[in-house]
Amino acid sequence: MRPFDLRNSPSRRDALIGAGLSFGALWATLILPSAASAQPTLTWIPKALTSAQALTLDAAVELIMPATDTPGARAAGVAPFIDRALATFYDPDQVKRLRDGLDTMQADAQAAYGMAFTALSAAQQTELLRRYDAEAAQKPLSHFFALMKQATFTGFFTSETGATKTLRYDPVPGDYRGCVPMKEIGRAWAT
Amino acid sequence: MANLNTRARRKNGYDAIVVGSGITGGWAAKELTEKGLKTLVLERGRMVKHLEDYPTATMSPWEAQYPGGRLPPADLKAHYRVQQRTGYTITEYTRPFFVKDDEHPYTETQRFDWIRGYHVGGRSLQWARQTYRHSPMDFEANAREGVAVDWPIRYEDLAPWYDYVERFIGVSGQSEGLAHLPDSLFQPPMEMNCVEKHLKAQVEAKIPDRRITIGRVAHLTAPTEEQLALGRGKCQNRNLCIRGCPFGAYFSSNSATLPAAERTGNLTLRPDSIVTSLILDERKGKATGVRVKDAVTGEETEFYADVIFLCASAINTAWIMLNSTSKRFPNGFGNDSDQVGRNIMDHHLGVGAQAAAPGYEEMYYSGRRPNGIYIPRFRNLGDKASARSDYLRGFGYQGGAGRPGWERGLNGPGFGADRKAELTQPGPWAVRLGGFGEMLPYADNRMTLNTALKDQHGLPTITFDVSIRDNEKAMRKDMRLAAMEMLDAAGFKNVIGGDTGYGPGLGIHEMGTARMGRDPKTSVLNAHNQVHACRNVYVTDGAAMTSASCVNPSLTYMALTARAVDHAVAASRRGEL
Repeated sequence: MRPFDLRNSPSRRDALIGAGLSFGALWATLILPSAASAQPTLTWIPKALTSAQALTLDAAVELIMPATDTPGARAAGVAPFIDRALATFYDPDQVKRLRDGLDTMQADAQAAYGMAFTALSAAQQTELLRRYDAEAAQKPLSHFFALMKQATFTGFFTSETGATKTLRYDPVPGDYRGCVPMKEIGRAWAT
Repeated sequence: MANLNTRARRKNGYDAIVVGSGITGGWAAKELTEKGLKTLVLERGRMVKHLEDYPTATMSPWEAQYPGGRLPPADLKAHYRVQQRTGYTITEYTRPFFVKDDEHPYTETQRFDWIRGYHVGGRSLQWARQTYRHSPMDFEANAREGVAVDWPIRYEDLAPWYDYVERFIGVSGQSEGLAHLPDSLFQPPMEMNCVEKHLKAQVEAKIPDRRITIGRVAHLTAPTEEQLALGRGKCQNRNLCIRGCPFGAYFSSNSATLPAAERTGNLTLRPDSIVTSLILDERKGKATGVRVKDAVTGEETEFYADVIFLCASAINTAWIMLNSTSKRFPNGFGNDSDQVGRNIMDHHLGVGAQAAAPGYEEMYYSGRRPNGIYIPRFRNLGDKASARSDYLRGFGYQGGAGRPGWERGLNGPGFGADRKAELTQPGPWAVRLGGFGEMLPYADNRMTLNTALKDQHGLPTITFDVSIRDNEKAMRKDMRLAAMEMLDAAGFKNVIGGDTGYGPGLGIHEMGTARMGRDPKTSVLNAHNQVHACRNVYVTDGAAMTSASCVNPSLTYMALTARAVDHAVAASRRGEL
């Protein structure tokens, strides 16, 4: 039996935080300059992806796990993490699924807005990802976005940034204390 | 020892040979060397030195080569077909300590999960460290119920040796005063968390025959001077034990018995040494040594000693015996009874229940306790109230409560800042109980030599034909329902019982292949773990077990080993071997 495997736990905070995100996304589209005016560039050399795919992935992971009061996926190096996993870890069918997915994102961006995915506004990008997320909920074992999210969450929460700045990490706890008020700890343990 | 001159003429002569360096081989080595015997320990796998050879022990998650430290699916498929069946044993972190199935093949007539670690320390390095005494009831059950054969010893024979072993290894736990789960000599217990305390209070109040205690584990919580002197320290609650402990806080051959043996100056440890057979002097009716094949060079060497301890694990000890044929033992060493390789037992598991535990959202815990809770057996204890008509023996539960971390978000909808905030908090409390059931000995649950399939060294492999029967199947139904009953009694929600399936071996408690008994016609070993028909060969690993109990067996193996060495040295000094 796998311990603690209760999936899809209800979140009491969805409504509240969801509202916060909507406001944040709106604010970003109104105030921030369009990404189209300055094409982003990669600061790392992909091993398994084309540059275009890597740029799309880099944008997507930051939307999946964004910087908030703590750093996000980009600061944690999640896109290069996934690229490395594509080169060394995943089965060929998983690699194909993710690469094809990145191409699909590009094609959908062109079809809907006539621009590269990376050139879209954050709101437009988020709109597309919401669509993929709804599709992935129907086909969790075969949809590229389910795989992309799994890879992003894993890459983020096992990164030094994710584990130590977003979660709490203690390599050598020393003592075990079985009943500690949540507010003393504040966040979930990374491990 | 006797015949010093004779032996001095021999090349490769020792007072004692121990085959295997795992949990019993380490104990045999410690006891023999401390009693002054020059002892050769032969280990089929590579060297693993305490501290030096734990390459992943202090790795942080971000130092992993692969996502989450999992191995690529292609690697698992190619090399770990069986070893991955547990779901937890094969990761990037643990890979150094498990065999590759493609290098160590065997044949399954029926599914048999043979999980192995070939290296110095054996599986004492990766064991789950749960440590329980067998009870008087366990040693009497076969005789009382007419099952298989009677144990030739009783609890009282082993009790002082339990004490002796526990003082050295260090066992953390809580005394409960139960006749059917005797207390060990305990170091301070680990703490239960809020939800476990709730479960204990509710279940014990509502179902009076139940007791819930903290797991009993071979971890130091208050190290003794003897333990500190060996370089062992207090448990730091990292829960990365399976990678090897940089604090020496849990007991292993590597951290404790082998260093103790080494400091006597009497130990010779030879890794990469596959013992292929015992050498029998047909005229004297004694074993004179063992034949060894070097795992690296393939070179064959003989080693000699006055007394030989087989501690190679239940399956590999039986393999050595079956592979040691002679005019005297045409069916395998000491196998007059035809019981070698039969009566394979394990603990059947993979059945229990889980639930959600609302009401403690404001509580969490600190530290990663390498332990859970334990619910001792409560069926068929000898009284009317606990008697079952549908099966013999019983089961215990291991389990615990916790709050899942970010991994719970790997599946399911949602992304972005709200998902991040959600996964930054621990998930809702969940409780699980998993049963460990006693498996009866069945003569046709057996392993045989397969000479048609040779391993990489040209040695015969093993074919397993083992299954659970009606008794175990009936017990499993109760294991699921009784777990659900307790989680319901505690007032938990979404109680789900389940049986995720079980293949023999999955408990990694293989035993019974050279059982102890009173009658040489129906057993392989006597009351001192000597081979009935060859008294200078002792078998003290899981092979010796006449029945399985439902508790984790390593402590009993260790106690049997220390007791057998005491006998061997005394018998040898009396010239009886």
